[in-house]
Amino acid sequence: MPTILLADDESAITDNLAPLLRRAGYEVVVTSDGRQALDGIRAHAPDLVVLDVMMPGLDGRAVLRTLRAERRSTPVILLTQVGESSERAMALEEGADDYLNKPFDPQELIARIRAVLRRGAASGGGLGQSPRLRSGTVVLDRVSQRVSRDGRDVVLTPRATALLAYLMTHPDEVMTRERLLEAVWGWTFQTSTRSVDTRVAELRRELEVDSGDPQLITTVLGTGYRFSGRVESA
Amino acid sequence: MRGRAARRVLRGLPPLLPVLAGVLLWGLWRAGELPGGASRVGAEVTARPGDWVLAAGALATVVLLLGALRRRRARVARERALRAVAAQGAGDRQRLVGRLDHELKNPLTAIRLALANLAADDPRPQQAAGLRSIEEQVLRLSRLTTDLRKIADVETSRLDTTDVDVTALLEEALEVVGEQPRAAGRTLRLDAPRAPWPLPRVQGDADLLVLAFVNLVDNAVKYTADGATVEVRARESGPDVLVEVADTGHGISADDLPHVWEELFRSQQARAVPGSGLGLPFVRAVVHRHGGSVTADSREGEGTVVRVVLPVRQPAEA
Repeated sequence: MPTILLADDESAITDNLAPLLRRAGYEVVVTSDGRQALDGIRAHAPDLVVLDVMMPGLDGRAVLRTLRAERRSTPVILLTQVGESSERAMALEEGADDYLNKPFDPQELIARIRAVLRRGAASGGGLGQSPRLRSGTVVLDRVSQRVSRDGRDVVLTPRATALLAYLMTHPDEVMTRERLLEAVWGWTFQTSTRSVDTRVAELRRELEVDSGDPQLITTVLGTGYRFSGRVESA
Repeated sequence: MRGRAARRVLRGLPPLLPVLAGVLLWGLWRAGELPGGASRVGAEVTARPGDWVLAAGALATVVLLLGALRRRRARVARERALRAVAAQGAGDRQRLVGRLDHELKNPLTAIRLALANLAADDPRPQQAAGLRSIEEQVLRLSRLTTDLRKIADVETSRLDTTDVDVTALLEEALEVVGEQPRAAGRTLRLDAPRAPWPLPRVQGDADLLVLAFVNLVDNAVKYTADGATVEVRARESGPDVLVEVADTGHGISADDLPHVWEELFRSQQARAVPGSGLGLPFVRAVVHRHGGSVTADSREGEGTVVRVVLPVRQPAEA
């Protein structure tokens, strides 16, 4: 049974989230601040950490940085509070495997946990923490936010680059337009899902051999998109 | 251009009128065209009467100019003070909204988690109905905090700026809203220039701008009855692009009109239609973030027009 370490200073959250995760089939270790979380991770070596960003003392991002500095690749899902797009971008750059904005849909969190654990088991983990990703001839440098194809730089809008980064760090996962909007744009407006289609079209135009028959970013009818190319650290 | 310069000269004329009159009279006296001709009026008076008129005219002009200048300065100072107060008020409100959103997040998350646990416990039918009702209301509150956060986010986050084709965005907005069931029975029209040249491209964040336009068109559809017309017009206007979203809908009362840009404001007439009172504040936040302005004009029972002015070039980021 996989173990999840939960770190949130709000007991109202942990008191309700822990039973929900246990019900979903996980062992749960609860901690209430960043320091405890670090000690708990070192002591229990959990399979995944759900980390609140805003905690007194050592906050979630500091915990994440410390973990990565110690070369621990434990998957981390951040619960972001401020909801600013800069915070989401930083979360991914600093090596979070996924993130959700509070207040989140409990089922969405469980879906994210399952996806991250499955990915970790399949690829040996690490895509979320890798500064450069490659899929075929497409290379994404997450630090400089540059994308190249066949060794040549491709000019993309910042949001298309962010979308590509999110898709490439979550290969083979079906992503609804709403989830992509929340993760990359930071808002979910019922009427704004077309923004996702526009950016996907931009990515396909620049990255696919034949944008009419995409191989990298494929459409999941009636749902959203999936990054279907094989992704590896470069 | 020339017309504007001429108008500016004409506007400057009134204070100069006395001195002009003096010059004219003085000239006429000199030329002997007025009764008394060029003759002197008296031994003690060394100046011609025209000279006196000229001097009096000059004095009156100086007095008038000084008065106008003083009034102008006072007006500028008053406007500046008002703007400072308004900016302070807007800043305070934004901070309050941000904190409210922040304080609501954890309780809402906890309630949603608790509900998920309760629902998983196989509740009796009556309890299940109660839980569903609570869940719906919590979702409503969650959406409210998300929308509040979105407004705060627009004001502070980085814009993904490109050269944007506003006409294409307006077409998209009309299409998105036109697909909604509530748009049935309304005529949606776009009037954007194609000749002699199309609208200039605007530097901006296409995703945010299209959301703002979708909001405006959606509002126009929401607050109109079957058979109404929604007209979207776009024009180049000096250094700006002007977009008007007009409808033949219920209109907004004069008392309510100034408040429609405030977060969570809903007029009496609007309460019959579901909404959050955050659409127009979001539009305003997007437009302001692009260095533009947005105003609304309305007549009850006749309709509303919202005017968005977007500068073609973005002012440099502060």
